Formats: sequence, structure tokens, C-alpha cells
Amino acid sequence: MNLRVYLQTLRWNSVRLAAVVVASIGWGILLPIIYVQFADAFKDLANSGAIPKELLNFGSGSLFTLPGALTLGLQHPLAIAFVGIFAVGSTVNAIAGERESGTLEVLLSKPISRRALYVTLAAASATLVAVVMLALLGGQLIGVAIQGVGDELDLGQMPLVFLNGLMLWSAFAAFGLAASVSFDRHSPALGVTMAYLLVNYFLEILGSLWRDVAWSQEYSLFHRFNPGEILTGKADPIDFVILAVAIVIPVVYALVVFPRRDLAAPS
Amino acid sequence: MQTEPMGTSQAVIATDGLTKHYGNVEALNDLTLDVRAGEIFGFLGPNGAGKSTMIRTLLGFLHPTRGSATVLGLDVVADSVEIRRRTGYLPGGIALYDSLSGADALQYLADLQDRGSTMRDELCDRLQMSKAVLRRKVRDYSRGMRQKIGVIQALQHDPELAILDEPTEGLDPLMQHAFYALMDDQRAKGRSIFFSSHVLSEVERVCDRVAIIRSGHLMALQNVEELLARRKKKVELRWRGAAPDLAGIPGLADVEVRGDRMRATLQGDVSGFVRAIASPSLEDLTIEPARLEEAFLEYYAGDEASEEERG
Repeated sequence: MNLRVYLQTLRWNSVRLAAVVVASIGWGILLPIIYVQFADAFKDLANSGAIPKELLNFGSGSLFTLPGALTLGLQHPLAIAFVGIFAVGSTVNAIAGERESGTLEVLLSKPISRRALYVTLAAASATLVAVVMLALLGGQLIGVAIQGVGDELDLGQMPLVFLNGLMLWSAFAAFGLAASVSFDRHSPALGVTMAYLLVNYFLEILGSLWRDVAWSQEYSLFHRFNPGEILTGKADPIDFVILAVAIVIPVVYALVVFPRRDLAAPS
Repeated sequence: MQTEPMGTSQAVIATDGLTKHYGNVEALNDLTLDVRAGEIFGFLGPNGAGKSTMIRTLLGFLHPTRGSATVLGLDVVADSVEIRRRTGYLPGGIALYDSLSGADALQYLADLQDRGSTMRDELCDRLQMSKAVLRRKVRDYSRGMRQKIGVIQALQHDPELAILDEPTEGLDPLMQHAFYALMDDQRAKGRSIFFSSHVLSEVERVCDRVAIIRSGHLMALQNVEELLARRKKKVELRWRGAAPDLAGIPGLADVEVRGDRMRATLQGDVSGFVRAIASPSLEDLTIEPARLEEAFLEYYAGDEASEEERG
């Protein structure tokens, strides 16, 4: 771990992080408001049979309960985009991008081992993801407080929700970094990581909308992120174990592959 | 291959049968050489000859296929981090962090080096990087200014050994001379420099010894002065009246007489030649010094010939 590289990486991301944090807080505030204002209307709509109930679900979330609404907010494409900027965008750029631009050459000419560099960039990515997760959850808590519906949640479970979210996005960040150490160019690393993210997302959403293929959710990492269950005291430890495995595998891969790779001169 | 025996002084770089293959491509083949402490060592070869592969292997970017190498007595595979702590490296066509100012980039890289920046002010002064220029973002720098930042970051911690890849690329003639003077001072301080270059005149000007590499093979490893002493000089003379008797002059070859002029090549000591032609009828005499370029081209002539045969 190199503190100087860690701090500089955070500094380079600071403006983008500030913008994403503001947006995440705003989005977080919105979901409890939507729940309070429209939950009954959505329930009536579902009960009338006008539209299938499945269409009012999204992933593991729904608009019928506050925990469901918060889950929906965290699995919504907007939230995916906010966290993905750092979990995917920054990670794939961390090594493959620097290699493509030629700056990795200068960095690695200094006394930093490749493993130390990887660990540093992984720590910086986890920090960025953690800040965005905190902003999303913080925004939701503000929204809950504004609407005065805190009694519908077990707020003592919020740290576990944060941990669950951090682990989900750390799994994607670990994958992004593994892709980043494997390629000399940014584009293939980004393509592979985006494909991994989208396949996981597709399996989760497909299973929630089409109950005949609900089994597909079992193969999605997003299905292991379920704030609704945690906030109602039904957290499944298996979800945490699976996410931990999804983090460890790419981390071990990167720690083995990166130091052994030949880094030819940038073309 | 022409080589001279390894000196008794300690080698700051030593390779033994160093070989690097990329699949079927042989980038380096059985390269054995040494760079001595306190010398400036030139590493010559055209694009694709294996220069960058050699440098990158020394710094741990590449892993040798066979053979071994040490830098400052440390193994390039096992002790790569320590090697990089004690050396300075200028990559060819250096890329820098565009969003940083020149001063911040230098400070960031000095922090990573973790050995201070005792020479930074002097280097900035000699390479004319004023405080105002250093305050500007790197993205606004010209190629030459980036190169100067590259040179400064490689030398600012006063490394025992500097490895410089095409160090004068992009520098204007004034800055090139400032760089040469800097190299002379580094040598006087006992620092060692290993640098690759395409510019033969600067290698001739700056280096103590030179290695010439072709298709990954070491073709020559020699003292620059000795290499030049063995090269043929071009001589041209003009006279009045009868032509001087040039028979039997040692080292004289390729004699071509046209009217009152003669062109030839001369190898070795010039004193015998000067004595032989000394006469009142001699009007003019020109002896061109041997250039490294000719030695370089000679080593590559065989390569081109064989390529033509293959073609």
C-alpha cells in the first residue's frame, strides 16, 4: 500500500466524487418521498389487475413497502450509474488506462511493487465506492426523516446494508481491476467489466419481471444485495459469503497475474 | 562481435546471457555486457533492435526468458523495487500526468522515489524550467518541456545510476548542450549513466563506452575512443606538379587520383602519412575525423545485405 498514490488517486477523483455524492444524496432523498406519496396508489393499481404486479417490482425492490422502496432505489439504473462510475469506470482505468496513456511506465519506474500498486488502487476504489454508498444511504435516511417514516425501518440494520452494498460494488470493482491488470488498453478492460455487470443486472431484473425464470436471479450478484430483507431482520449470511467469494477470486487473480505480466513499451 | 575485456572496476549493470523472447520473436539474444561505475554508457541500435527490451528488463517491466542481470549488484527479478529506488529512469517519449502542474508532477514523482530531490533546483535552472513554467499544467507543455520534466524527474534524487531512453529527443540544440554538460558533471561526480540513443553524434560526444545491438544481438562493446581510432579516416590532398609517392604508406587504402587531387581512406596513425606526403608541392590537406556513424553503419551493413538477399 502506497499512501502517496492512494491520496493522489482520491485527489484526482475528488471533483467527480463531489458531483456524484450530491446526485446520490438527492436520489436517496427521493425514494422515501415517492414511497410515501405513491405507495397506496401503486398498491391499488396492482390490486386492480390493470398491470401485472411484477411490473411494479424492480430487482429485489418494490414500491409497496419502505424497505422495498429503498432497495429499489439502490438497484435502480441511476444508482448503478452513480456507483458504477467508480466501481467500473475508475477501476478499469486505474491500470489499463495508465498503461495506455504511458503514465504507468513512470509510476512503476519508482520503487513501488506491482502488488503494492494494485492494493493501493483497490483501496482507493473501495474508498470511492464506500463514499458513494454512504451518500446514497445518507440521502435515503434524510428522506425517511423528512417523511417521518423511520418507524417502518430497523435503522440499527443500516450498517449491515452499507456493508452489503459495499461488498456488492467491491466485487464489481475487484473484477474491474482484474480486467485492468490483464489488458494494455482501456477499451477491452471496460468492455469485459461492463459485460460482467450487465449480465448480472440482466439476470436479476429478468427474474424479477418474469417469474418463470426467477431462478436466473440466483446467478446474479445483485440478488445478494437485498437491503429490504436486512432492514426487516431477515439478512441471509449466504449472500455475504457469496459476495466475499466474488471479491476474493478477482483479487487473487490480479495479485498473481499482474506481477508476472510483461509490460512491453507502450505503443 | 568485438568486445573488450571487463574492467576491474565494479559493474553497475551486468548481464549474463540475457535473453528475452516474445513468443517466436527474439527481442534479446544472449546479451552479455557490463556498465562500469562512473561511466557514461551508450546503447545504440535502430528501432526494433532490442534497446527498450533491454532497459525494461533491467527495470523489471519485462521478465528474462533466459540468463540473468544485475543492476547495482541487485538481481533484476528479485530486487526490482530496490533497483528502482536507487536508479533514475527516463522512459522514451515520456508521458506525464496532464492535470498536474510541472512542479506538482515533479514533487509527486519525488515523493514516490522517497529519496528527496536534492538536485531539482539545479536541474530546473540548467534546463531553463523557471518557476513560472513549472506552475503551468503539464497539458500545456510542449514536447521539449515534457522531456525536460522527464530528465529532471529521472535525476532530481541524484541517483547512483540513471537509465535514460533517448534523453535528448525533443530538446532544442541549446538544451541538448545543457544536457551534455549535465552528463559531464554527473560523470565527474562518479555517477553512472546508461543511455540509448539514435543520435550518434551525441553518443560520440558524451559516452565513454558504447554497445551496438542488432536484432537483439550484441555486435560491439567498445571504448568510444578505441572504436573511433580503429575506423578509417577520409583524407584528401591537392598538390602542384608531380603527384607525391603514396606507395607503401601504412593504412592507406581506396586511393582515387583525379588530376591534382587524391582521395583515400587512412586507418591508424596519421604521422607516417603526413611525413610521406610532406613536400613543397603539397597545396592542401584535409583529414576528416572518423565518425561513430560510420562504425554504426558498418555493423548494420551486413544486416541490410542479408535482408536484401532474403527479399
